[in-house]
Amino acid sequence: MEHLIEELKVKIVDILNLPDVTPADIQTDAQLVGGELGIDSIDVLEMVIMIEKDYGVAINNKELGAKVFATLGTLAAYIQEHASELPN
Amino acid sequence: MSDVPVTIAGMGVVSALGTGAERTLAALRGGECGLSGLTLFVAPAGQVLPVGAVRGFDMQDQALPRTHRLARIAAAEALAGSDAAPDAIVLGTTTGGILTTESLLQNHCTDPRAYRHHGLATVAEDLARQWGCTGPVLTVSTACSSGAVALKLALEMLRCGMARRVLAGGVDSLCRLTYFGFKSLQLIDPAGARPLDRERRGMSVAEGAALLLLSADAAADGVCLLGAGLSCDAHHATAPHPEGEGALAAMTAALADAGLTPAQIDYINLHGTGTPDNDLAEGRAVHRLFGRQPPPLSSIKGAMGHPLAAAGAIEAVVAALCIRNGLLPGNVGYGTPDPELGISPVTAPRSAPLKTVMSNSFGFGGNNATVIVGRAAGAAAVAAPSVVTAPLSVQGAACITGAGHGPASLEALLAGKECAGCLDEQTLSEALPPRVIRRFKRLPRMALSLAMNACRDLAPERMPTAVSIGTAWGALSETHAFLQRLAETRGQYPSPTDFVGSVHNAPAGQIAMQLGIKGANVTTSGGDHSFEQALLAADLLTRRSADAVLVAGLDEHHPQLSPLLAPAARPDPPAADGGGALLLRREPGGNAPMLQLLAYRSGDGAGTGADLVGLLGGADVVHNNYGAILVGMPARAYAVAEAQWAAFRQASGFDGPMVDYRRLTGEFGTASAVAAVMGVAMVRAGAVPAALAGGAPCALAGKAVLLLGLGDGVSAVGIRLP
Repeated sequence: MEHLIEELKVKIVDILNLPDVTPADIQTDAQLVGGELGIDSIDVLEMVIMIEKDYGVAINNKELGAKVFATLGTLAAYIQEHASELPN
Repeated sequence: MSDVPVTIAGMGVVSALGTGAERTLAALRGGECGLSGLTLFVAPAGQVLPVGAVRGFDMQDQALPRTHRLARIAAAEALAGSDAAPDAIVLGTTTGGILTTESLLQNHCTDPRAYRHHGLATVAEDLARQWGCTGPVLTVSTACSSGAVALKLALEMLRCGMARRVLAGGVDSLCRLTYFGFKSLQLIDPAGARPLDRERRGMSVAEGAALLLLSADAAADGVCLLGAGLSCDAHHATAPHPEGEGALAAMTAALADAGLTPAQIDYINLHGTGTPDNDLAEGRAVHRLFGRQPPPLSSIKGAMGHPLAAAGAIEAVVAALCIRNGLLPGNVGYGTPDPELGISPVTAPRSAPLKTVMSNSFGFGGNNATVIVGRAAGAAAVAAPSVVTAPLSVQGAACITGAGHGPASLEALLAGKECAGCLDEQTLSEALPPRVIRRFKRLPRMALSLAMNACRDLAPERMPTAVSIGTAWGALSETHAFLQRLAETRGQYPSPTDFVGSVHNAPAGQIAMQLGIKGANVTTSGGDHSFEQALLAADLLTRRSADAVLVAGLDEHHPQLSPLLAPAARPDPPAADGGGALLLRREPGGNAPMLQLLAYRSGDGAGTGADLVGLLGGADVVHNNYGAILVGMPARAYAVAEAQWAAFRQASGFDGPMVDYRRLTGEFGTASAVAAVMGVAMVRAGAVPAALAGGAPCALAGKAVLLLGLGDGVSAVGIRLP
């Protein structure tokens, strides 16, 4: 789980091209979307694609997305629970 | 203005509901659903979603892209029985030849000739050739409001007397870009669109076309385009303003334009795409304008899907059909009321006498348009708002070339230096807020930089309230990135960010959002006349306004796409891009240089050069009024342009300084926007600088500068002091 969280931090910063955010800035239990990081609804959709591509986990509607993307912790937990092959 | 009734003299329509007005009416009467599973191209397993495809349509004839063929079907019906060519064409489209381009790129085709129908403008140009229209041919691309915006521009052309008969509407074909793009945004309902239903999950992507022959001549049955209103949310790239601010503004503007009150609307044809956010925002706006008991309303997008740029035009045709036949169309797909929405649509089609219908179309970039169709007698006899007659005058200017931003570029250009090139990303993005532009590729960076520089240091009350942008090719980087990733992942993982950025009006939407500009927001795409079209659109949309409008032309060079889409006939011109922006405002009694599109006609051939002299008022007028000519001779049509220029010079006898400006700016579709900024500087200085006048400065002596665009079509913009 810890490994997954660290991996997600790097991926998120990479795909979202957040100019002044480093992986260390993303707190596991802080608000992920709409907070200080500047992550918005289009970023969420971009993360949805990445998660489906890299972990084989689909998050295909908005209501589910709102729950899953609450924090990095909830996201990692959801992936952990639904991925067929766990990335350790 | 509104005392000139604009009648609907002909109309043609094709959609998932069928081909032709009669068939469409029957489908609406029968409450039919035209949605079916995608077959036009391959989608990965489990991703075959319902679409609104046009059926019974020759799939084998691939010579012309599908969008062009759909437009021809609608145009043929609209012009049936009409013996004269229309004076002008205004067409809304977002797809152009992209469906064909997608296949060509997948097959690694490197022959530029195969891509000749890619550009959005080629659809309207094809119609002009087919039906012999030699007047202005405008292409607007404001995402899903394109068709309705086209009707608004046509309406203004007729009101101001620029044309007597205009063929106007919208068209889009299904393509991978929109299908997978909307899917990546999670805006597609896997069960098919269910507008206004509590369980609605999104739209169904569709295709279609509708064209209306609008006429300033009275018609027997008197169904008219009574008015139209535009607005921009300036809120978000894709999501509507949650309270429906922009939707409300567009509906309010349309009512004012038509001289009507909300109580006079008998039926509202909603935008009603079926996405949770759109329907909610639109419902709120309807409640705010019409109160708790709005007139009967419904969305037909559960029946035909969402045909994007065609939607507004198809729904205008449907509005006219409903008025002529006394029909309230049902909201196909609706079953369960949504308490949050609080709106009950017409569930099943029923007969009712209708006089006046409002139709909404909203799009990405927060681009909103509302049109009102009705019998002319339905319009209240209100005095038309006064017209501000002064031409648009220049309040601010900015440009970008390979030599840098504004001052650096302008200084070099006026010194006769070649500035062709592409600014590196860092220089291009100077002074832009990093967080805002983090998802921008090249074109939106250029757009925002031009807009910020043209509006620099403005007092809030002098900020523009409208935006009109011309781009020949749109956001090529985003389009290419989207299609490349789509192909690489075999349709599995399209990028929502690239899709949002790929629409032609994305840069204009970003400008509106960043500068808070909530009035009309238009993007035109007219090949090498894209900037001139933007200028014309701005002029048409601000006839009754003293507010400023930002007009710009910009294009990006893309290493893979540009050589395919805009191959130069001249060997190896350097890669170049850039643009120009002008902040314009009608200012009676002001002393700033004024800018006006004086002539614009379609068609090529050398003869059009001589025609241009006539359009400008004859040889004497050209000789007496103009002190210098900036000539745009696009490399991709250089031979034609040279012949046109020779014919122009012979017919006018013009012997003053001439600047072939593309040799300085480099080759890109909207190089004329940069030339316009040069022209403004010359008029301000009262002289053509030495380097451009053959060695010694040439005084303009009060004369104007003429900006000519040659090649496919000819255009003339006058730049003069009051």
